[in-house]
This record gives sequence, C-alpha cells and structure tokens, in this order.
Amino acid sequence: MPPSINLERCTGCGRCYDICPGDVIRMNEKKAVVRYPDECWHCGACRLECPEDAIKFYFPLKMVKI
Amino acid sequence: MEKLDVDIGIIGGGLAGLNASIAIGEREGEVALLDKGNPVRSGSTAGGVDHFMAYLNKEGEWDTEKAYLEYVKKVAYGIVNLKIHKKVFCDELEEAIRRLENVGVPLTFDGKFIRTRSFGQPGPYMINFNGKDINKKLARYAKSQGVQLLKRMIPVKIFKLSRGFGLLAFNYRNEEFYCLRSKALIIASGNANRLFESPHSNPFNTWQSPYNTGDGHVLAFNAGAKLANMEFARMTIVPKGFSAPGLNAFMGLGARLVNSKGEPFMERYHPDGEKAPRSILVYACLTEIIRGNGPLYLDCRGIDEEKLEHLLQTLGLDKETLPDFLRQKGVRISEELLEITVSEGGLSGPVEIVGAGIKIDENCMSSVPGLFAAGDCSDQMKCVHMAVAGGYAAGKNALEYAKNTEIDGDVKKEEIEREIERFLRPLEIEDGITYMEFEDVLRKIMSEHVGPFRTEKGLKAGIEKLNRLEEDKDRLMAEDNHELLRVTESRNLLTIGKIMAHAALFRKESRFVPYHYRLDHPETDNRNWCGQVVVYRDGDEIRCEFEEISY
Repeated sequence: MPPSINLERCTGCGRCYDICPGDVIRMNEKKAVVRYPDECWHCGACRLECPEDAIKFYFPLKMVKI
Repeated sequence: MEKLDVDIGIIGGGLAGLNASIAIGEREGEVALLDKGNPVRSGSTAGGVDHFMAYLNKEGEWDTEKAYLEYVKKVAYGIVNLKIHKKVFCDELEEAIRRLENVGVPLTFDGKFIRTRSFGQPGPYMINFNGKDINKKLARYAKSQGVQLLKRMIPVKIFKLSRGFGLLAFNYRNEEFYCLRSKALIIASGNANRLFESPHSNPFNTWQSPYNTGDGHVLAFNAGAKLANMEFARMTIVPKGFSAPGLNAFMGLGARLVNSKGEPFMERYHPDGEKAPRSILVYACLTEIIRGNGPLYLDCRGIDEEKLEHLLQTLGLDKETLPDFLRQKGVRISEELLEITVSEGGLSGPVEIVGAGIKIDENCMSSVPGLFAAGDCSDQMKCVHMAVAGGYAAGKNALEYAKNTEIDGDVKKEEIEREIERFLRPLEIEDGITYMEFEDVLRKIMSEHVGPFRTEKGLKAGIEKLNRLEEDKDRLMAEDNHELLRVTESRNLLTIGKIMAHAALFRKESRFVPYHYRLDHPETDNRNWCGQVVVYRDGDEIRCEFEEISY
C-alpha cells in the first residue's frame, strides 16, 4: 500500500511525519511508518519532501487492476 | 491551555489562507494561521497544481476582463454574483500573478505563458504552470512577513465575544488546547469530500483532498453564518481506479473522450465537445454509460507531438503520483486508451469560479460581522486563481475591519471546559462505533438519496436517515488523537450532508446537471430559480431561503 518507506534509506529525520497532510505517517523506533495506508490521498507530499529518496508509491490491486 | 491574542485568526493553511495571511503580514497586522496539517504542504495543492485561470489583456477580445466576466456569467448563471467576482478576483488578478512570481512560482515556462482552453471558455484562460512548490513558497514568504503558522490544529469551536472572537483549537500532536482571541476571523478551510461513495471503493481515494471535510463551514454555520450553493454535488472524470485531478490538462491539450465503440461522443452533447463545461462532460459520460456505451476512454493518441510531449512532461504537476499510477497500471497514453470513470461527488461548487459555502459580500465578509471567508469554503470563490487573488482580498479586508475594533470580553471558563469535555469524550467511549463505520453509512445514504439523481421523496428519505444517523454521533469512539481528528471530521461531514440534502430539496429545478439533478424537476428554471439557496441555522433546525440574483 502506498506510500512505501525504504527502511534502509530512512534516517528517521521525521520530515514526512511533519508534512503528511493526512496524519497517516508515524515515527517508530526512529523510522517512519505508514500507520494508516488506507487514508493516504497519494498526494506525494512525503516523497517530495524526503531528503533520502526513501519513499516510493506502489498502488494496490484495487486501484490498478479494476 | 495556550492563550494568544492577534488581530486576525485564520482557519486553514491552503492557498486561500496563506494568501490572506500574507496580505495581513505585509501590512504589519498580527496574524495566526491554524492548519489541520502543515501549511508548508496543505490543502488541495499539497502535492502541487498545474493550472491558474486568468485573462491577461495580451491577445484578442476574449483576453479582457469584460469577456472574462461574460464567460463567468454564462457558465455560473444563477449563482454567481458578478460584483463580488470583480472585486475579489478581477481587481486582485494582476497583483496575484506578480505575487506568485515574487515568491518563486512564475506562471510561465521559460518565460512563456502556456495557455489552453477548456471548460466552456471563449479563449485559452487556463495557464499551465509548475505549481509543485506553491504552498511551500507561499508559506515561507508568509513566515518572513511575521505570520504565525500553527500546524496540526483541530479547530473546535468559535465563540462570539462582546467584540471579536474566541477560537478554541486542539493540537493533536502536542495535546495542547489553544484559545485564540482575535478582532476578526477568516475561514479558509477548503471544500468537503468523503461525502459520497467512491467508484474505487476506498473513501479516501478522492478527486479533491479527503482531509477537506467542511470543518470551517460547520464552525461558521454554528456561529450563525449563512451558507450558499450547498446543494451542488460536484463530480469530474478520472482515470479508472484513481480519482486523480488532471482533467483540465487532458482536455485543454486536445485529448478526446471515446466510448466502447471507439467513437468520440462529446459533440452530441455540446458544440464545444471536449472543451465543454465540466458538468456537461460528466453528464455526457453518465449518459453514455446508461446507454450501454461503456466502458469509456480518454484518447490522447491524436494530440499533436509537441503538446503530447508537454502533457507527458507535466502530468505529475497536478497530481504528483499520477505518472506512477499510469506506469503501474501499464498504460502508455501516447499509444493506448486510458479507461476513465465518473468520480465520487463532493461539495465544492458547481463551476471553476464559484464555491459552495460561507456566503460572502464584496469584502469577503459573511453574514456574521467580523467573520470572513476565502477560497473554496466561500460561495463566490473557487480554484487556485481565486484562492490566490481572493484570499489576499479577504486578508486586506479583514485587517481593515480589525482597525476599527478591539477585542472585548473573554470566553467563559465553564464554556471552555464544557467544550473540551465534549471534544475529548470519544477517547473515553469503549463500546461505541468507529468513524469508518459511521462514515460508510453516511456515504451510503448520501449516494442513494442525495446524489447525483434526486427526487423530493428520495431527499426526504435521505434527510430522515441522516437525522437518525445523528443519534449515533455521540457514540463515536476514538482510540487516539488521530482517531479523534477523524471523528471530528465525520461529525462535520454529517452536518454538511444534511445541509446539502436540505438545500437540494429546497431548489425545485435542475441546474448544472448532474450536480443538481432533480428528476422530478428536470429543467433549469431561470424565471423562478435564478439565484442562490441560502441556508442558515435556526436553533437546531436547518432553514433555507431563496435569494434572487439578477444580471
């Protein structure tokens, strides 16, 4: 489910947590976690702001296969 | 409890709120802007935007204020107030374009305006531009002008003081309550979505921001402000699977809509074909589907090479993740058809130039003195161009108002305690209902009875069901502050749904079909219904009245 955070790249800076308009991202043990994937609007604000290029969007089947 | 006194408080940190705050900051007014997210990327343009409607006085006769206002009158006939439109948009336009350029968001590519025609315009009014960082750059500039940007704030209630306002708000990250007193307030909280069932099953998969839930509308309505244009449930055309914006660029650059037989069909519905107003594009698609001519597709293969190249390069400006979606769906629009569908409905005004919400006058003030509105949550502004231009006008006017008044009085301690207790109660409830379940029921009722096909009987049944759902409002539970945020939104959405149903029942004609489509009154009746349905609160009742507009 989008967005997907690459935990190897994520440095835990919290920028995506700070920016997400829908409050769907949490910080957990110094890593960003997508806590409410079903509430994501796919606006891409987190990816635009991520300094580590750690965020990718993978659309679920119910979006790309219908 | 944090206490703060300012000249002006602003609710909502999207384009309208930011521009309003800038107008006040530049004039050295004290201003605090509260946003539910982070104003650096908030509102409908959090991930960017690609179009700004304007005349530029550069080309033909169509490129003038006079022609533009003629267009506005034609496409928003019956509900647009041209005097207000001129004051909040035309008189501010030149400065708005300059302001964007100054903060680092020019409306040009390599110094040149790229202009396209869509949505019934007489000439290419849509400026295609790179608005990827528009909020970020405006927020940065606002800060430099002394604006206090307060993020992660849920506005709880507006209190009217002897003079001025008190606003109770809750920061759901640091768990502090704030009591902001101001001489004037500006509501700039955008439109309302998550109201109707999504064709793509997930209710957050919406065309416009699902975090816009009519919070400001409800705060203002409860404070006594009148609302207008609330009956219109706006839809658009989106790629199947993803309610992404971007239609304007496709239509403007020459894409065609085709049915399952591969036939373009728009000319059968409007002489402008794909350049017809959005409501007509939607009506045509719904009709084609009902006639058995679906699935429907967007055909970009005939777009000339240069324009197609531009489209492909700029597709992600309006929706950052649309190129990812198309890639993962496996569609190359330069070679293949893209299946489309009609989006969910939302409350956002029926045309690109009129909103649905707080009824404003020429000074952007509501029917409550000192309470102003700007952007999509007002009844006379809509879209990027008006949020930027009209937001600034609202800021200037609110500050003018504030110069002649003082804050007098305070919110009573007991009132604050009562509100806080009510607001936090969902955290104490264990055997209640979730916001997901509550909203699913709301959307089911709205989709079956309130739109897009409406009848008196259906609307009355809908209102009754919404009233019964209201009984469950106090059973909404929240496990944490995130859920508390959503519960607040769910409650506001129910109020918006009820207001929409009442206004739709009141207007006994059809207008901007299918946005207000009364099957029992299918014609547009300009003799009796050229004007606005105005909704206001009378105790616990929702009342409607008609206000004529003459041209």
